[in-house]
Amino acid sequence: MAAATSVASRAQAVLRGRLCDQAVVHAALRSSPDTNYSKLKYLVASSVSEACNNSVLLLGPRGCGKAAVVKMVLDDLKKEHPDAISVIRLNGMLHSDDNCAMKEIARQLCLEHQLSFSKMASSDDNTEFMIDMLRECGLAHKTIIFVLEEFDLFAQGKQRLLYSLLDAMQSLTSQAVVIGVSCRLDADQLLEKRVRSRFSHRKLLFVPSSVDSLQRLMDHLLTLSEDTPLPTKYVREYNARVTSIFSDKKFKGILNSLTDADATTSHILRFLFRVVSYMDMDSGLLSMQSFMNALSSMQRQPKMDSLQDLSILELYILVCMNRLEDKEHSSYNFTTIMKEYKSVQDAYKTSDKYSHTVCFRAFEHLLGRELISFADNRGRTLSLEYRPVKLLISSHELAQSLKLNTTCPAVLQKLLDRERYM
Amino acid sequence: MDLSATPSRSKSRHRSTTSKPVASPAVAQMDLSTPSKPTPRRKPRAAAAASPVAPMSPATPSSVRRSRRLLETPTKAPSETPVKATPTPKRKRAAPSPKTPIQSEPKRQRQQPKPKKRAYYRKVVYDGGEFAAGDDVYVKRRESAESDAEDPEAEECRVCFSAGGAVMVECDVCLGGFHLRCVRPPLRRVPEGDWACPYCEAERAGKAIERPKPPEGKRIVRTAKEKLLSSDLWAARIESLWREQDGIFWAKVRWYIIPEETAAGRQPHNLRRELYRTNDLADIEMETIFRHCYVMSPKEFKDASDGGDDVFYCEYEYDIHWHNFKRLADIDDEPKTKEDPSDVPYNAGNDCVSDTDEDSEYDEEEGPTKCSSARRNQSHELAANLRKGRIYGLQKIGIRKIPEHVRCHQKTDLEKAKAALLLATLPKSLPCRDKEMEEISAFVKDAICNDQCLGRCLYIHGVPGTGKTMSVLAVMRRLRSELDSGNLRPYCFIEINGLKLASPENIYKVIYEQLNGHRVGWKKALHYLTEHFSGGTKIGIQANQPIILLIDELDLLLTRNQSVLYNILDWPTRPNSNLVIIGIANTMDLPEKLLPRISSRMGIQRLCFGPYNYRQLQEIITSRLKGIDAFEEQAIEFASRKVAAMSGDARRALEICRRAAEFADYRVKQSGHTSVNRGKNVVCMGDIEAAIQEVFQAPHIQVMKNCPKFGKIILVAMVHELYKSGLGEVMFDKLAATVLSWCHVNRELLPGYDTLLKICCKLGEGKIILCEEGTKHKLQKLQLNYPSDDVTFALKESPDLPWLSKYL
Repeated sequence: MAAATSVASRAQAVLRGRLCDQAVVHAALRSSPDTNYSKLKYLVASSVSEACNNSVLLLGPRGCGKAAVVKMVLDDLKKEHPDAISVIRLNGMLHSDDNCAMKEIARQLCLEHQLSFSKMASSDDNTEFMIDMLRECGLAHKTIIFVLEEFDLFAQGKQRLLYSLLDAMQSLTSQAVVIGVSCRLDADQLLEKRVRSRFSHRKLLFVPSSVDSLQRLMDHLLTLSEDTPLPTKYVREYNARVTSIFSDKKFKGILNSLTDADATTSHILRFLFRVVSYMDMDSGLLSMQSFMNALSSMQRQPKMDSLQDLSILELYILVCMNRLEDKEHSSYNFTTIMKEYKSVQDAYKTSDKYSHTVCFRAFEHLLGRELISFADNRGRTLSLEYRPVKLLISSHELAQSLKLNTTCPAVLQKLLDRERYM
Repeated sequence: MDLSATPSRSKSRHRSTTSKPVASPAVAQMDLSTPSKPTPRRKPRAAAAASPVAPMSPATPSSVRRSRRLLETPTKAPSETPVKATPTPKRKRAAPSPKTPIQSEPKRQRQQPKPKKRAYYRKVVYDGGEFAAGDDVYVKRRESAESDAEDPEAEECRVCFSAGGAVMVECDVCLGGFHLRCVRPPLRRVPEGDWACPYCEAERAGKAIERPKPPEGKRIVRTAKEKLLSSDLWAARIESLWREQDGIFWAKVRWYIIPEETAAGRQPHNLRRELYRTNDLADIEMETIFRHCYVMSPKEFKDASDGGDDVFYCEYEYDIHWHNFKRLADIDDEPKTKEDPSDVPYNAGNDCVSDTDEDSEYDEEEGPTKCSSARRNQSHELAANLRKGRIYGLQKIGIRKIPEHVRCHQKTDLEKAKAALLLATLPKSLPCRDKEMEEISAFVKDAICNDQCLGRCLYIHGVPGTGKTMSVLAVMRRLRSELDSGNLRPYCFIEINGLKLASPENIYKVIYEQLNGHRVGWKKALHYLTEHFSGGTKIGIQANQPIILLIDELDLLLTRNQSVLYNILDWPTRPNSNLVIIGIANTMDLPEKLLPRISSRMGIQRLCFGPYNYRQLQEIITSRLKGIDAFEEQAIEFASRKVAAMSGDARRALEICRRAAEFADYRVKQSGHTSVNRGKNVVCMGDIEAAIQEVFQAPHIQVMKNCPKFGKIILVAMVHELYKSGLGEVMFDKLAATVLSWCHVNRELLPGYDTLLKICCKLGEGKIILCEEGTKHKLQKLQLNYPSDDVTFALKESPDLPWLSKYL
């Protein structure tokens, strides 16, 4: 028993390790010639071997493996040409200011070539240093690769960084590659015209992979190979189980509902990680149940969940607000809501009658949970009761949650329904 | 002292000089450094004849030699301090004869020099040979009995062992010479390309073959080349020549090194005649110089078909401290900064007017001293990215071993085309801008040649990629060559790019620094500059020369009150300012956008660079691709027509062609090298089409097609809602309701609200739709970022959602 558990936990560790290793995840890219990986590798490698400059943009939604491909290409090339490649990494979130980006470039160049770096140097110095380095490295057959993540954020303001980088690349005999990574599809349109004219306009588009290739990926990731340190018998049993799950019709349904929302690789990886976490620890095998659990945990609706565990009074307030909105009150505040609440109480004579202060407490709570919000940022000086508010959930969601909530009084549902069909 | 005396050098005299008592500090310095400098180069092979120069250097094994050299170089620095400390050499140097030291001539050497002065020469006739700075020479390495006296000018044939007679051919493997008739089978003429002698061929094939032995009694005489390659001689390049006050001629030389002596050793790709230039300088006496040799750059080497036996090939520089290699830069690629010691070749040439000469020499002297002073304080706290540290740090960069692929790779036509289309490669000619260049050149010449250089401005405008900066620089290059040949008044050229300045005000700083070499704050610089241009105290050395100021991206200098532009454009209007400004920018109406007082100062002289039309683009591309057969004729025309229709940007056209060549190359490489079909290895229309596609087509349609299912539904619902309402934007609440009802009707799984919200945010991230932040939940406003027709086009036939098309 204990042995089985330990085998299960060891298998879990192996699987998690595989899921988190980008090289394993994208291993399939290496083999085929028509992937972005091989195209990018060709681009960078040709600039290493033929001493030319290039700039390339990698575009695509988040989670499609842009950064992973860059990393793989650079790792491979570093292995092929040791000593000839230096990589400068910048991130638009951190270095969108030109001066600070220049300094960072100088710092990384110094680090890469074991030079001493001074943070006192002015931005002109750093620019000049970068240009000198580009020239020297070009003469020494060394390639400098600039990886600019969140490229769109560099394309703000005067774009001095991009200009001086691209201008140096087109006027010197250097060998450098600028790889811009961005999730904005119109990133190259953001460039100023003189910068755009210097940019060499190579674009690689990353799109979410098709269902078939995703299934292949899942197969590749979840199947254990024989040479792991786990017992062979267990591995066989486990693999047989995984194969049988993959051929199940239910599994197809799960996969479809997963990819309908988001078919990116990172989404699938997150899903698989949960699947592995839901592994049956007694037998150490995956079951259909673990896939179902993982799917439902991926498809959480946080707002519905928070609606579920509201108190009755809070639900009353929400329903009142909904009634007010249906009555086309363009602007209302806490006092208006209280008036509505009173009128409901008077009409239906329910037992859920609370004092003003208690209602206000509940109102504040709703604000805190961001189920309602202030209509605008004006009137900060006004006290809370008088600031106009708005409902952030739709009536559809509200009705659904009332239906699901077993403790909810029937009056509330009726109130909502009456409004809808009146 | 009769210097052109005997060809056999008397060693005793040569050595005795070192021990002579000396007076001036400058000489003392020389003597300190001389013995220590050349010694490390002595090789153990000469151990028996322990060279008289090196009393303190015992025979050192070659590995030690290298490290010794490493150790010793820094010691040179302190010893050089006197040069800097003594004010003597600098100004007085030109004194010996006001008529310039360049005139090389023997009679000059007889002239008794005045004491305490070092006379520098451009050219010295010594021992019957004429040596000038910049020449390459053999340097004697040891004083052994053999060989120095005998210096066979002609090589002997390896078969018949007699020199001269008929045409000889050199084996590319063993470098031996052969008479055409002595080779079996005899050759008619010198073969094209590489040729290996029968012996080397046989050795390569693995057969044992005996090389012909020299006839009894005849000693094989080795040529200087052979001695050099077996490290019995050295080669060096003369950097400068001077005469000490005691009448002995000295030279500062830069050593060459043979591949065997480098840390990496001889590599398989090294040519037989390859040398590396080092950064090791030494002062040697002219005595030790043997005779001329010729070290050539790759291009010269290729052109020199039969340059004789003393021709060597040098492509790389070897750093003796860090043991790494670096390609030698082409001289005209190097930017000509003031303090750059590499400026010497330029200065060496301008000997037209006597007064400039002094200046140039001053520079020359300035170079080394500055360099050495920078070296002296090369302690480790100096940072490479600070200005002062730059000279020091960058030597470190270099590659340990020259990568093989660079040398051995035979370029295909496509790769050659790619290299030729690179933006960085300077084209040999600049087609299509002759008229404009003529105009610029006339303007500049006009401004310079007038004795009274009136302040003038020229404004050049045009869209990006029409060759504005390139034309101006080409004109300036041409003018410089004119200046060098002495047809033009000397001037000073400053180039500034507005977009590379940290702030507009920094331009004062940069100008001042270029004029003077010192750095000050911008306010101070402005003050000095204003004074300079209004006729007060002048800055810098070339105070009276006209200054040509090229400001690229002029529009970037606009500040709120436009004071920077005002100041700069005000200078030329001052009397005696001697300033010419050329401004370059994209906008046609920049002067009109400025304040009236500035635009009036900017003058009316404007030059427009129109976008290229397709003929011109075609000409530009074909002129670059001359001699390379990699493009179909129509392909080039197609690309240039396409670009001309869009922007007329030459960079764009070149990039598209390069990209197309890359596509073709990729295709060829993927399919393996077997494709015999020649037509496939050429860039065809398809490649150009693909490249244009990549450049001009936005990728959004592709992304829309590959959206997840709900993403597609959202997009279509949005188009639907926008159409229905006729408004520009839609609320998330309404959109979600539509999506849910559609899903309900068409029996799809119902997505949750939060899932839809998440998808909306993802689409918003890619800017397919524009949306507000997600915290607004149902109040979020959404907008399509692309025309709704694009959505319709992309999603009309989506296989997984056949029902979607009925809503479009």
